[in-house]
Amino acid sequence: MTATLVVIGHGMVGHRLVDTLRELDRDRRWRVVVLGEEREPAYDRVRLSAYLGGRSRAELSLVAHEFLADPRIEVRSATTAVHVDRRARTVRTADGDVLPYDALVLATGSRPFVPPVPGREHGNCFVQRTLEDTDALRAAVRPGRPAVVVGGGLLGLEAAQGLQLLGMRPHLVEAAPHLMPAQLDTEAAHVLRHGADRLGLRLHCGTTVTAVNAGAHGAVRSVTLGDGTVLDADLVVFAAGVRPRDDLPVTPALRLGDRGGYLTDALCRTSDDRVWAVGECAAVRGRCHGLVAPGYRMARSVARQLTGRPDEPLGAMDTSTELKLLGVHVATFGSTSGEDGAVEMTFRESVSRYAKVFLCRDTGVLLGGILAGETGSRADLAARVGRPPAADLERVLFPDPSF
Amino acid sequence: MSHILVIGHGPATHRLLRGLRRHGHDGTVTVLSAEHHPVQHRPLLTTVLQGRLEAGMLRPEPEHGARVLTGAVATAVDTARRVVHARQGDTVTAHPYDVLVLACGARPVIPPLPGASDRTGRLAPGVTTLREVTDCDRIQGTAVTVLGGGPLGVETASALALRGTATTLVCSGPHPLHERLGGTGAALLTARLQEAGVEVLGGRRAVRREPGRLLLDDGTETAADSLVLCTGVEPEVRLARAAGIRVHHGIVVDDALRTSDSRVHAIGDCAEHAGRTVAGHESALAQADTLAAVLTGREAAHRPTPAVLRLRTHAVDVACVGPLAAFRRSGIRTVGLLDPAGRRHARLALDGDRIAAAVLLGLPEAIAAVSHLHRRGLPVPSDRLSLLLGIRSHLPPAEDDGRADSLVCLCNQVSRRQLADAWELGARTVPALVRVTRATTGCGGCTERVERLCAGWADAVGRELEPTP
Repeated sequence: MTATLVVIGHGMVGHRLVDTLRELDRDRRWRVVVLGEEREPAYDRVRLSAYLGGRSRAELSLVAHEFLADPRIEVRSATTAVHVDRRARTVRTADGDVLPYDALVLATGSRPFVPPVPGREHGNCFVQRTLEDTDALRAAVRPGRPAVVVGGGLLGLEAAQGLQLLGMRPHLVEAAPHLMPAQLDTEAAHVLRHGADRLGLRLHCGTTVTAVNAGAHGAVRSVTLGDGTVLDADLVVFAAGVRPRDDLPVTPALRLGDRGGYLTDALCRTSDDRVWAVGECAAVRGRCHGLVAPGYRMARSVARQLTGRPDEPLGAMDTSTELKLLGVHVATFGSTSGEDGAVEMTFRESVSRYAKVFLCRDTGVLLGGILAGETGSRADLAARVGRPPAADLERVLFPDPSF
Repeated sequence: MSHILVIGHGPATHRLLRGLRRHGHDGTVTVLSAEHHPVQHRPLLTTVLQGRLEAGMLRPEPEHGARVLTGAVATAVDTARRVVHARQGDTVTAHPYDVLVLACGARPVIPPLPGASDRTGRLAPGVTTLREVTDCDRIQGTAVTVLGGGPLGVETASALALRGTATTLVCSGPHPLHERLGGTGAALLTARLQEAGVEVLGGRRAVRREPGRLLLDDGTETAADSLVLCTGVEPEVRLARAAGIRVHHGIVVDDALRTSDSRVHAIGDCAEHAGRTVAGHESALAQADTLAAVLTGREAAHRPTPAVLRLRTHAVDVACVGPLAAFRRSGIRTVGLLDPAGRRHARLALDGDRIAAAVLLGLPEAIAAVSHLHRRGLPVPSDRLSLLLGIRSHLPPAEDDGRADSLVCLCNQVSRRQLADAWELGARTVPALVRVTRATTGCGGCTERVERLCAGWADAVGRELEPTP
């Protein structure tokens, strides 16, 4: 006797969950229906900037042939779920289909947050969340012309760099005083800023876009900043963060986290014991995670629960990042919150490299850190987390010292 | 045989006279002292404020072989005739010289604050600067406001709070010592001062003094039975300027402490050597030593002492070594430590493996180690964490060979010579020596030795002080 699992959302995390379930469900207990809103089955959203740069859809695809061929799996692309009836245990789709479920996983992801700026509805204003968004953006690219990217986080920097590579002259506007405020401190961002300057990216930190101004044909011509500056722009990309998609009508409603997202316990269980939430739409113990690594941990956890395997509750999520942006390597590892009275040590060499580590005040144990520029590798340092820092910590952070 | 005339009778003069005697100067020396009381160890003033030191204890050794004219105010220098005109009470006097030494010191800057001073510049009742020991007595009442966020302002406020006075510190920067310590360090200093009972009001300017209070530019006011102006000092250059001697910020001197007039020298806070003026106590003494050698025909050149700021307050240990500009030089590696819970902070500017500059707060052992490494130009151990968090192994073993420059206090790098100097300038008890030099305030291991030295010198009163090579 098989049971039916319905997964709403065929993004990276929803796909990982189904793929893991395929592997773990050796008793073939589950039949799975995956509803994907987009036309394309799951793809590597993290690499959308590469797609903007010319990579093909096939290169980004996460779905192997065996997956689609697996008789236990039914992928319904371009299918939007419009209602969940928890009493009847059914999901209704926009096509009017009603799908019964024994278990339901919400993997609805996030949607881009577009700040409520007057004029944001004008032509050539974009977000970049999907392949289709990216196709539209790429079609609007005009080499040699100015563009404005709103948001100096990871997505905004990638978008700006992508536009730069396509020959546009992007400005980047970040409300915080420095780039990547969620991950970096001022000094690490300073190293990154140096990379941006070198590439000719024009940064405007500590200010916001207050208006998007249209030209004759209703398409954007310029934006106005908080300090009154007007920047010419043939197109605008909003990359000002994402918000969890938690607005699918569910009756009775599920509890949400204080800052949105479906509220779950440490095992991704909602208040309904047949309903889980994973990925960016899940507020695990109240907190949403915008990175794919925590999402994959959630997917694995739920797949194990569905197949009757013991699972450890999800503890502290690894929010590490590592990337090379604007020619600058930036990374975080371990805990970078500096909570609990951690001691911070910083190392800086002009604008070429910077590292900050957090150490436990009582034991000296390495808790985590931030790296920017020509520093030691994140992996080398992450391996030292939880241990007292060796006397050569500085040499690991700044290898091949200049003296 | 030459006659040396000295204008001013501060610690630098005191040191010069001793040096001249040691070097066997065979001429005569006359000192014109505007004050009626002898020189004082100025860094001890805040200790007097705390009530931990009797003002009378600041009396230094009397001078041998020099004629000191007290109450003699120099009014003009005639470099052509080589004579200094002075006023002693109602008497006008003239003092010829072969060599003139200007040791006029610095005077407090009085801010243009309505109600604080009258038209002639005389301070209003309840308003004082802190330059002389008698100024300590002028600070009265139960609530005192200190104006100025420099080292003296911080030390004064801290000392007053320690003796139980309701103390407010007002400064125009966001925090006291903001420019010296940087934002992080200065914010921690404020936190430490608040914990020690000082109310710190940063980012505010005084607009008017009224009896019992001080009005600020944000519309608030502070209680101020007394108002202490710690608003900086400026080199006393008026005599030199009037005499046509070259003055920039201070009286400009070369490596032989010689002014633009070859028979006139300047030392201490009034002098400007290598572009630096009011370089501090240690520098003034070093200049006096150099000049004593120069005036007795020896080869000597003054080398600037490293810029060191060391705060003497119970609230916190603060040290700045080296020029702050070093932090912005290219090729510099900056290493920082921040312990917000422990209110500890350090910033090192490393040039290769040498310390170019450092700011340290709340880390007494690191201050000792870093100061030592900086002063000697020694390489920094690669384990900066241990260095900053104060692992003793970075320091060399104590030398206890009886030499004057042997280290007595390892933690604070205090030599026997520094203790002897402090004694000579009036620090006559163990607590006084401790306040001036900070000896014993690290691990405390040298307390017994400091007590022994102090007792030994006390026994020797009336005889020549212990000679130092």
